[in-house]
Amino acid sequence: MSAIQLFLLSVGFFGAGALAALLFRPAASLARWLAGAACLAGSISGVLCALSGAGTALNGVAPQTVALLSIPPFGNLAIALDGLSLLIVAVIALVGIAASLFMLGAAPEQASIGFLTNLFMGAMLLVAATSNTFFFLVFWELMTLASYLLVIWEPEKRESVRAGFIYMLVAHAGAALLMLAFLILYQKSGSFDFNAIRQSQLAPALRSLIFMLVFIGFGAKAGMVPLHFWAPGAYTAAPSHVSALMSSVMKKTAVYGLLRVSVDLLGAPLWWWGVIVLIFGAISTVIGAFYALPERNLKRLLAYSSVENVGIILMGAGLGMTGLALNQPVLASLGLVAALYHLLNHAFFKSLLYLCAGSVIDQSGTMDLNRMGGLGRRMPWTALTFLVGALSISAIPPFNGFVSEWFTYQSFLAAGRVTNFSLRVIGPLSAVCLALAGALAAMVYIKAFGGAFNGPSRSPAAGAAHETGKLALVSQIYLALGCLVSGLGAPWVVPWVAAIAANFGGGPAAVVSGGWTVFPLSAGQATLSTPLIAILLVGLLSAPLLIVALLGGRRVAARSDVEPWSCGYGYRSVMSLPASGFDQPVKVTFQPLYQARRILEKPFQVVGGFSRSAVQFILRAEPLVETVVTRPAVRLVETAGQWIQALQMGDIRVYCLYIIITLAVLLILSFGRSGL
Amino acid sequence: MNQAALIGIGVFQVLLLLLMAPLYSGFSRVIRAKMHSRKGPPVLQNYLDLIKLMKRQEVVSQQAGWIFRLTPLVSMACMLVAALMIPLLAIQSPAGSAGDLIVLIYLFALPRFFFALAGLDTGSTFASIGVRRELLISALVEPVMLLVAIVMALIAGSSNLDIISREVASGQFPLSMAFWLGMISFGFATYVEMGRLPLDVGEAEQELQEGPLAEYSGPSLAVMKWAIYLKQLVLVAIFFALFLPYGAMTGLTVLGFLAAMVAFLLKALAFYFIVGVLENSMARVRFMKAPSVTWLALGAAVLSFVFYLANV
Repeated sequence: MSAIQLFLLSVGFFGAGALAALLFRPAASLARWLAGAACLAGSISGVLCALSGAGTALNGVAPQTVALLSIPPFGNLAIALDGLSLLIVAVIALVGIAASLFMLGAAPEQASIGFLTNLFMGAMLLVAATSNTFFFLVFWELMTLASYLLVIWEPEKRESVRAGFIYMLVAHAGAALLMLAFLILYQKSGSFDFNAIRQSQLAPALRSLIFMLVFIGFGAKAGMVPLHFWAPGAYTAAPSHVSALMSSVMKKTAVYGLLRVSVDLLGAPLWWWGVIVLIFGAISTVIGAFYALPERNLKRLLAYSSVENVGIILMGAGLGMTGLALNQPVLASLGLVAALYHLLNHAFFKSLLYLCAGSVIDQSGTMDLNRMGGLGRRMPWTALTFLVGALSISAIPPFNGFVSEWFTYQSFLAAGRVTNFSLRVIGPLSAVCLALAGALAAMVYIKAFGGAFNGPSRSPAAGAAHETGKLALVSQIYLALGCLVSGLGAPWVVPWVAAIAANFGGGPAAVVSGGWTVFPLSAGQATLSTPLIAILLVGLLSAPLLIVALLGGRRVAARSDVEPWSCGYGYRSVMSLPASGFDQPVKVTFQPLYQARRILEKPFQVVGGFSRSAVQFILRAEPLVETVVTRPAVRLVETAGQWIQALQMGDIRVYCLYIIITLAVLLILSFGRSGL
Repeated sequence: MNQAALIGIGVFQVLLLLLMAPLYSGFSRVIRAKMHSRKGPPVLQNYLDLIKLMKRQEVVSQQAGWIFRLTPLVSMACMLVAALMIPLLAIQSPAGSAGDLIVLIYLFALPRFFFALAGLDTGSTFASIGVRRELLISALVEPVMLLVAIVMALIAGSSNLDIISREVASGQFPLSMAFWLGMISFGFATYVEMGRLPLDVGEAEQELQEGPLAEYSGPSLAVMKWAIYLKQLVLVAIFFALFLPYGAMTGLTVLGFLAAMVAFLLKALAFYFIVGVLENSMARVRFMKAPSVTWLALGAAVLSFVFYLANV
């Protein structure tokens, strides 16, 4: 099957899953099963779509555009799968596999969750593939709506309704800017179609205006500082597999949108666009890392860390955009490779961390790191997979997060070599931001891992935890393997990313790997070989064992029944350092930064006050949605089911008649088309 | 230089660093004793300690899991890999394709990550407090090292350590203000990472009973200590490869090999001597004062970057 067919099949699966969940609403467990299975099937066909499309798309063949539906003033609902779209489809589908497994195994048994998750997945896929601004916005809104309803899946919890409201507010403010930008484009080009917009002539000032609009609009959705504040609440409130999808996939559709509009549609003609993206990326990286550190709530901690990682992606994207504008092919391809590779890697490790966090939270009954502890002994597999995710996200060689950050560093070095002076200043200074954020991220994940899995159990529930269910575990192991493959297999994965970057930015694909090493276009600049490092590391683990065996000789077997040293007093588990005490030195050292946060959050406190009254309103309005939207929809489906039942008469001749009628209709349609 | 010779040099270089590391630490203990007007331990005391520890029974906290047991192995293995990547004896690094200077700096994060987790794993108060101190210091020092690395890479046109090393040794590299300031600030960062006074806050013996090491005993403690000695010497070797690569051989000759070895050992001796004198002429400061010292290093690194931009 062709890529387009597989894509439609995938969307079809999601649609069917959503419908099935709705139909079998009363039987919650069956509904969850059907929705999960459809979601899994849809994700798998999404991956297949990306694989089958990659060959032709990356060979420079212009993507085939297929018009599915035409609504006259808005043009065609057209699907076009070029390299970048295929990458995003692959990311959505790869994470979708894990999320659907986790949903099957561990999600709450609620039909609405299955319905909305499928809707969410389908909408994201369509956002990534559609090539018409009107339908892009339609799917964008559908995606926002589905995720919003998933955030408030427990409407009785005030916190989650409030978080959902803030999310909705920011998402819509962003969408309004996007709408404005697309309307200006429509007015100037006379079409909603991407191709027509590409060919339209726009004044540079107008292009810059549109760029600023989409930058803020997509930035809000991507959770870029200072528009990040919706993310921690929303991710915390959503079910874990949805948090994983929102933070590791939905954010990427925003990065995709930014790249698509500013580079592809507007042509990235001005160098300062990229610099703006770079600066906001650098700020997000540092601020995200700093604010992640003091969090005690595991999911909020992960959310802030997503802010940090989106910052890293934006830094690469900004450098790539500047490189394109300045006609510096080295900078352009390195920046894009760094951004797209980090986009892929972040999808793997962040969804892994969210799913592990989901398992931990289910088992310990709390999101508070201070009340976990000791889970490593009770949930060894979850601990191991979380560790892989933590090492990856902390950019520790030879894991995948490091490889993409290394490419980001290399693009900073490339930026330092161009003649543009401001870029030569900002590039290396942003690299310092990345280094600081890297050290802080390691601290964040030492805190998260140490707080949850190490030390003594700090609450009775944590002491009674068990390993998570099989399906959830499979999803975690699958993602951990994904991290390892994209990290240790970097020399074989990066060429694909480079081909996508070249396909998107124009020009021939940059050579970024050879043999076992990756390098920034030439091996004389720098080299990195993750497989070699891994082999050396694993091999040399034996060295200390050998030394001890040689020098130590025979000795008494080890004892492991003692308590930690506590100056001769009896040890109690409260003596261990709680997670909240872990970051105290950083809080004191960087006090001004945390004080600034309080001042900066003042305006949002005002919004917060407003939102409290809005929450009241929503709590009252929510049943309204139920009666106006959900119930009629259910009723419609049920009535439609009865109609369909009426068609099933059980007589084979009637069925033959159906087939003949269908064939006749299809024939007439196809003749009509060829006649035109 | 052919591949076989390079591998041979690599193995030799790793063994050299591994075997000499306790000696240099012993040397700094001797300097400290002399400056305190004490007789002090013999230079070889560290070796005797390590061997004795390896013969002892190991006692592990009942809270501790596999991370605690794996950490000594990871710490040492990682330092050995780093030792292999430095152009130390030859001007070409034996495992150069494994990574550039950025990789080398980031490689130190792996043992730190495990070290910190091991500290938390035991549930010991001392270990955890040591961990959080250690991590703050690394967050303050890492940007400094990276900024200097980036300035050096920008001037040399490559971030591969052996290319920078070759350019500095052959005099191609301009010995500008950027270079000297970078050297000062990288040297300072090395000093801090070596865990010396006034910044030996993580394994502070007096107040934290060696911090994250508190729960280690027997062979594990021996391996941990040895890995720390090795880390110090590896850091010194990176400093020399970046700023003073003189003496490392360019071709493969027996004489050149011996000369390179002696040159490195003498340079390291001088570095440890200076570090020892500096360390013992300073008082311990409160831990929270540490940032004010590291800001200086960051300042020097930023100045070095500014001088690079201004082309001075």
